[in-house]
Amino acid sequence: MSDSLMHSGWWLWLAFVLAGLATHIPRGSFIVAGSRAKLPAGLQRALRYAPAAALAALVMPDVLLVGGETQLTNPKLLAAIAVFIVATRWQNAWLPFIVGMGVLWSAKYLIT
Amino acid sequence: MNDAFRRGAREGFFHYLPLSIGLIPWALVTGVAMRGAGFSVFEAMGMNIIVFAGTAQLGTLPLIVIGAPMWMILATALALNLRFVIFSAAIAPAFEGVSRWRRIISGYLLTDGVFASCSPRMLASTDKDWRLGFYLAPSVWCWALWQILTLIGVLGASVLPTNWSLDFMASIALMVLLVPIVSSRPMLVAALAAGATAVLLHDLPLKLGLIAAIFVGIGAGFLAERWATENMNADTAS
Repeated sequence: MSDSLMHSGWWLWLAFVLAGLATHIPRGSFIVAGSRAKLPAGLQRALRYAPAAALAALVMPDVLLVGGETQLTNPKLLAAIAVFIVATRWQNAWLPFIVGMGVLWSAKYLIT
Repeated sequence: MNDAFRRGAREGFFHYLPLSIGLIPWALVTGVAMRGAGFSVFEAMGMNIIVFAGTAQLGTLPLIVIGAPMWMILATALALNLRFVIFSAAIAPAFEGVSRWRRIISGYLLTDGVFASCSPRMLASTDKDWRLGFYLAPSVWCWALWQILTLIGVLGASVLPTNWSLDFMASIALMVLLVPIVSSRPMLVAALAAGATAVLLHDLPLKLGLIAAIFVGIGAGFLAERWATENMNADTAS
């Protein structure tokens, strides 16, 4: 361990274990509890929207914000639009990565 | 390991394989960041195996570096992982009939990517062995790939290029997951509401804006669904 860390040995591993518990208790919660912890049917139907909501909440800030501001001529936004068009038209799963990174690099090169 | 498990494993693996590219930048960045925090290779890989969560690892690193109090590290990691409670509840019905220790392993392996790409088909299947295979194969692949790529990040911290915007590959992977999901109107409403909320609340600390956005999105999707069915009922009644 380097001198930049204030604490040594066991402290660091305790921090890892706590961060691990804070990760794996939420992850395992309902999977492990299983049928003993059934959610109400209405809540379960609502939870079907969780993946769409979480994915959009992760992606949209990254694509729309540049240094905390919305900017419409930003290379990431152009690349994201290209990715969406490619992903809706074609089933190929590798193509969005190729086109997305291609548009991102070209747009960066052209704009800056 | 019966036939259904093996068939599920094969299908799940190939279903998830292309999306696992999204892990490359994440894992490399996490490896570089842990090295930057002053961890030895052994400590970095220890954290990587114990925590196994890019967001929680990157989020707690600055706190660990300054020697922050334990409760703060715990609270931050919990806030970053709250979304997994929602995911765990949503995917739990697919583990009906699976033994306890397999469910514990499945919980440890739960990631955003596997959840988003595999849970719809798992929940639609009636074969519990097929479902377990469809979940475990991509999850174990994701785990192994994450460990190897993070190790490359840890070992190559000083030579990896930083100006290639490789982190954008993670966003592309998320978009590839999102496109097929938003094919129905309520799903699209959920995504747009969540995305807009996340953009508006991006200034909140501890990714609380992300959690608020997920709740807003779920609520909006649910309302859109009810509104759509009520309209349909009104149409058939008239």
